[in-house]
Amino acid sequence: MDNEQRLIRCFQAVFPELTETEVARASVSRLAAWDSVATVTLAASVEEEFGIQFEADEIEKMNSFPSFLKYVATRSGA
Amino acid sequence: MKLIEALQIANAPQGGPLFRVLLACGFTPLHLQTAVKAHLRLSLPTRSIEVRTGIYGDLGGTLESAREPLDAVLVVLEWGDLDPRLSWRSPGKVSGEVISDARARLSRIEKAIAILADKTIVAISLPSLPMAPVLHAPSSELQSVEAALLEMLYRLAASTRAVALHPKTLRQGSEHDLRSELMNGFPYSFSYADALAAGLVRIVLPAEPKKGLITDLDETLWSGILGDDGLEGISWDVDHKTGFHGVYQQLLNVLADAGILLGVASKNDARLVDDALARPDLVVEPRHLFPIEAHWRPKPESVERILEAWNVGPDSVVFVDDNSLELAQMKAAFPAMECLEFHRDDAGFLLELRDRFGKREIRQEDTLRVASLRDGQAVREAADSASLDSLLAGAKATMTFRWGKQPPDPRALELINKTNQFNLNGVRYTQVEWNAYLSDPARHLLVVEYEDRFGKLGKIAVLAGREQGESFDLDVWVMSCRAFSRRIEHQCVKLLLSRWESLHLLFERTERNAPMMDFLADAAPGSREIRRAAFNRWCPQLFHKTESING
Repeated sequence: MDNEQRLIRCFQAVFPELTETEVARASVSRLAAWDSVATVTLAASVEEEFGIQFEADEIEKMNSFPSFLKYVATRSGA
Repeated sequence: MKLIEALQIANAPQGGPLFRVLLACGFTPLHLQTAVKAHLRLSLPTRSIEVRTGIYGDLGGTLESAREPLDAVLVVLEWGDLDPRLSWRSPGKVSGEVISDARARLSRIEKAIAILADKTIVAISLPSLPMAPVLHAPSSELQSVEAALLEMLYRLAASTRAVALHPKTLRQGSEHDLRSELMNGFPYSFSYADALAAGLVRIVLPAEPKKGLITDLDETLWSGILGDDGLEGISWDVDHKTGFHGVYQQLLNVLADAGILLGVASKNDARLVDDALARPDLVVEPRHLFPIEAHWRPKPESVERILEAWNVGPDSVVFVDDNSLELAQMKAAFPAMECLEFHRDDAGFLLELRDRFGKREIRQEDTLRVASLRDGQAVREAADSASLDSLLAGAKATMTFRWGKQPPDPRALELINKTNQFNLNGVRYTQVEWNAYLSDPARHLLVVEYEDRFGKLGKIAVLAGREQGESFDLDVWVMSCRAFSRRIEHQCVKLLLSRWESLHLLFERTERNAPMMDFLADAAPGSREIRRAAFNRWCPQLFHKTESING
């Protein structure tokens, strides 16, 4: 499973109603369910899935699926 | 369980009646809430789970403001609940008054728990994280303030009406996630939150304890082979370096005192076994062992007879033997039976064995169980040689019918939730559901006690239902399998029909309630109704002396 699929799995665990296509477009501004608790939960599940750890200021910047994907790609060297 | 798995389980679509839980903690519940919901969903797949949480930093207030009906309350204490100065998020200068402040806060929490525990089950966990470094002593030393706080917590655990989670079951060394606590207010690693949630849910929804243990003798109950080593060659004591078998025997005494049935299945010479069990230094009390199957026929035959004598299914029994071949044969004969290899000198083996039978409290009926089974065997043997009528006529049986819903009788709900065979419909109730059921003024509850010349059975049947004019809708009817063959069920129906003209039975077939179905096939053939006149024509002669007590 590539990074994108693994990240989609994390997003769908937090937002089970989203399809893969919707996950790819998900952002704080487009998704009402994406609140501060969802951000923390997403960050924790991504940390667990990829074995990485966000800095506090980095989590605040994770406001869309692409931003998470870019971060994961940078940290995992993919 | 990983967080992503917990999220998937917790967030999957759910249906069925609501099961409401309050997760009361002073920190941000975050992943603990997810883990609790996931574990509840795994334990209750046919229910919709709702996990409510409370006010941040105000555990006492959360508990005091719980008003709506709850099926369970989970209380997770941390140091900050005793005094915020002890927490990592807002550590402060600690002086002597921290003890009086903590006492006041714990007292408030305990009072709120007592009120909730009247209505539902409450589980509590004690602080598991290290205290913030607010005391000057090195962490290798137990400072007097911390010792006083720990004393207070253990006093709470001893006196609270909540069921306390044993701290040892959770100790794993990686409980604390300080980064998460400081960032989000959630103090635990997810692996710890998962273990904590699992432990609390096990308290609220405990696995049904096993009812019986069947043990081998050679190299199990004692060290040595009785047939080869002789009566004096077997041992279970420290002097022979075989003390582990003595500890096992003592565990069997503990289980027997809690009402667990103990049987013996051994390929052995029956007379030698009698002599061995008569040795005065035997630790296990021989009266606890019933039946004893000691002969040379296959062990599955022995177990079959033991299950028949106990009238329990193989899924309720644990078989312990040192021989892996015997274990494999037993598993093949009884796939539902748990078959355990005896592990000598392994403390974990005995502790885990004990946990399979773990009981929160012991009732009078538990202490009567083995004696009543022996007596039941006597009844059956007598019935083989004489007609049942003449046997029952001479039994000098007394049945006591206790009507009333107050004070609540915990034995009633226990019987309803553990009886499988003579059970009208298999419906189980949580404490809250049972309270709600009984709160209907038209509902009546009847608890039945039985005693005869063969022995006392205690409270062995529960009937409940709703009055509908001249009729009674019976939707709860359970009777212990120890009470079969005494026409107790007939007397129960007769009593109800002395008050109401007819009984409407809310019967549902379950996997295991064939005895109830058989009775109804005779008492109410082709219908779900028993009418007084028809019952009186059909009912065989009853010999019980009866007494009704109105609560």
